[in-house]
Amino acid sequence: MLESLEIAMFYSLVIATTLCMLLYFVWLGSKNELIGRLATYLTIVALIANVFAIILRMITSGHAPLSNGYEFLLTFVGGIMAVYLFTEFRYKLRSLGAFVMPIPFLLLLFIIMSMGPDERIAQAIPPALKSQWLTFHVLTAMFAYGAFAVSFSLAIMYLLKFSKKEDEKKSEPKGIVSRFPSLERLDELAYKVVGFAFPLLSLCIITGAIWANYAWGTYWSWDPKETWSLITWIIYAGYLHARSMYGWKGKGAAWLAIFGFVAVIFTFFGVNYLLPGLHSYAQ
Amino acid sequence: MTESSKDLSDRIWDIFSSMKLGLALLGIIAFTAAIGTVVPQIDQAPQKAEAVSQLWITMGFTHLYSAVWFRFLLGLLCINLIVCSTQRFRGIYKRTFKLTPPSNLARVPQKNRLVIQGELVALRESVQEVLIQEGFRFTLSDQPDHWSFIAIKRRLGNWGSLVTHLSFVVLVVGALLGSLLGFKGYFMEGAGTTLPIQAIEVSKGLISETFSVRINSAEDRLLPNGERDNWYTDMSILESGQEVARKTLSVNHPFKYKGITFYQANFADGALFTAEINGKSSPVVLRDHRQSFYQAPGTDLFLVTNLERNLAKTPSVVFQVYKGTGNEPIQTGQLKSGETVNVQGAYSLTFDGLAGFTGLQVKKDPGVVVIWLGCGLLLGGLLLAFYWQPLVISGILQSESGKQGNLTVGALSGKMTDSTHKALEQFVSSVTKMIR
Repeated sequence: MLESLEIAMFYSLVIATTLCMLLYFVWLGSKNELIGRLATYLTIVALIANVFAIILRMITSGHAPLSNGYEFLLTFVGGIMAVYLFTEFRYKLRSLGAFVMPIPFLLLLFIIMSMGPDERIAQAIPPALKSQWLTFHVLTAMFAYGAFAVSFSLAIMYLLKFSKKEDEKKSEPKGIVSRFPSLERLDELAYKVVGFAFPLLSLCIITGAIWANYAWGTYWSWDPKETWSLITWIIYAGYLHARSMYGWKGKGAAWLAIFGFVAVIFTFFGVNYLLPGLHSYAQ
Repeated sequence: MTESSKDLSDRIWDIFSSMKLGLALLGIIAFTAAIGTVVPQIDQAPQKAEAVSQLWITMGFTHLYSAVWFRFLLGLLCINLIVCSTQRFRGIYKRTFKLTPPSNLARVPQKNRLVIQGELVALRESVQEVLIQEGFRFTLSDQPDHWSFIAIKRRLGNWGSLVTHLSFVVLVVGALLGSLLGFKGYFMEGAGTTLPIQAIEVSKGLISETFSVRINSAEDRLLPNGERDNWYTDMSILESGQEVARKTLSVNHPFKYKGITFYQANFADGALFTAEINGKSSPVVLRDHRQSFYQAPGTDLFLVTNLERNLAKTPSVVFQVYKGTGNEPIQTGQLKSGETVNVQGAYSLTFDGLAGFTGLQVKKDPGVVVIWLGCGLLLGGLLLAFYWQPLVISGILQSESGKQGNLTVGALSGKMTDSTHKALEQFVSSVTKMIR
C-alpha cells in the first residue's frame, strides 16, 4: 500500500516537474502572468510530491533515504527545488525557473531511463551506514548541491544576457533575456547562492569525515568521492576568492560557477558510476 | 649585504603573501588530487597500482596522497595561508575595533552614497537613535566644521575569512600529529582469543603500549526481517592478565582505551574446536573457507575447515588435514557439534560449535582532536564569513546655512553591492522618517 503510494508520488513528481518546466519556458516567451503563477504552483506541487515520496520511502525502509542511487537522486531533486523556490520567492525571480527546472527534469529522466524497478526498491543498508551522522551528511549535501544547481542556472542566465548585450553593442538587450534581472544582480545572486551553499558543502564534508571516523577509524581516506568533493570545494573556494579579491565578477565568475557544478555532477555521477571506492554502495 | 638579504626576505614574503599563489596552489592540488582518483592507488587497489607504468610509480602517482611532492604542495599552501593571514590580521583588527569616523567628505564611501538634508540637531539625534535601534556599534566625532560617525553591525563577520584560512593550517597540523605520533593496525581473531596489542599487524606507525586484548565473543546479529543488524564484539582489555576494561563494540560504535580506538570493521564465520594432545586440552578457533589453520604442537599436521551451510539446526563442519607441504589432504571428514575425531593418532579434535571472527581496525591518532578543532574553526569561519557579514555605515554632517545641513552617508559595499545598497537605503529611510 505505502509502496504503491510512493510510486504514485514519484510519478506525480515527474509529471509536475515536466509541466512546470514547460510552463516556465512558455512564461518566459509569453509574459502571461497566469502561466507564470501556474508554473510556480506546479513547482510547489512537485516539491510536495518529492517530500512525500521521500517520507514514504523512509517509512517503508525504516532508514534515511540513502541506500541507493535512486534515493540520493530523489533528495538531490528535492534540494534543487527547495533552494529554487526560496530564491524565486525571496528575490522575485521567476525567469530562473526556466533554467533550473530542466536539471531536476533530467535527473528524473535519468532515473526512469536507467534505473529498473529492482534498482529503485528500498534496500537493506550495511551496518556502516547506520549512523545519524550520515543523515546530516546527506541532508547537507542535498541543500548544497541544490544551491549549486541554482547558481549554475544563474551563471547560464548571466552568460546569455552578457552575450546578447555584447551582440547589441551595450544597448539594453531585447527578447527573453530582457526579462532577466540586470547582469550585476544575476552575478550577486549567484555569489549569494554559492555563499549559502559553500558552508553547507563544508559541513557535508565534515559530517562525512566524522561518520567515516566512527565507522572505519579514518576521517579522511582519499576515497574518490571524498577527493572529488574536495575538488568541488576547491573550485568554489576559487570562485569566492577570485570574485571578491580580484574583481573576477561577471563573466569569469559565471564560468567558474558552471565549472563548479560540472564538478558537483561528476562527484555525484562520475564517481558513483565510474570510480570505485567506499561510496560504491551509492550506485 | 644586509640590504640584499632584506630584499630577498621581502621578496619571499611578497611571494608567499600573494593570494594568486594560494589560488594557483589550490588549482594544482585539485588537479593532482583528481589524477589520484584515476590512477590506481597502492593502498586502495594494490594489484592495479603495481600494473601501471614504472614511470608513474617512480613519480609517486600510485601513492599520490602520501608522495613527498604532494605533501610539499600542501606545505607551501600552509605557508601561504599563514603569511596571508599574518598580513591581513592588522587590517581586520582595525576594520573591526578601530574604526574612525570620516574626517572629510572624501572619506565617506563613494560607490554607495546618499544625502539627507535637514536640521542639524535633528539629523544628529536621529542618526544616533536609528543606530541604537538597529544594533550598530558606533563612534562619533564632533568637530568645529562637521559632525561625523562610523557604525558597524555584525563586526565579528570580519574575522570569518581569517579563521577559515587558519583552520586549514590547524587541519594540516592535526593530520601531521596523527601521522607522526599515531599508528594504524588491523587484526582478525576468533572469539575466545587473547592477543598482545603489539602482535597486531600495523600498516603505519609503531605501538608502544603493552596491554592485551581478549575477544570474549563476536556475533553477526540479524534482525527479525533477515536484514543485518550489526556486527558485535565483546572485548576486554587485559593489563598483566587482569581485566581492566570491557565493552561491546559494533560498527559506528568504537571502543577507546588509553588513546587507542578499536573499530568494528569486519566479520567472518568460524568454528570452535577443542584439541586434546597428551591429555592437555586447548581451544582452537578456525576461520571458515580455510582462511586460517591449526598446526598441532610438535607435529607437521595442518588443519583447515569449511562450515557446512545447510538448514539443519545442528551446525557441522568439514575438516581437512594436510601433512607438511603436501598439496593433497591426508584426512578429511565431517563433524557435527559435540563430535570428536582422532587426527592421525596425534591428537583428538572435538567440534564445539560455531564461533565468530571479528575484524577490528585499531588506531591511535593524537591528531584527531586537532582535526575536529580545525573542522570547527573552518565551519565557524565560514558561517561568520557568509552568514554574518558586517555592515559598515559612515557619514558626515556639514552645515549648509545656519541650522540646516547635509548628511552624506555611505556604506562599504564589500562583496554584496546590491544588498549593501538596500541596507543603506533602509538606514536613510529610517533617519528621514525620524526627522519628520
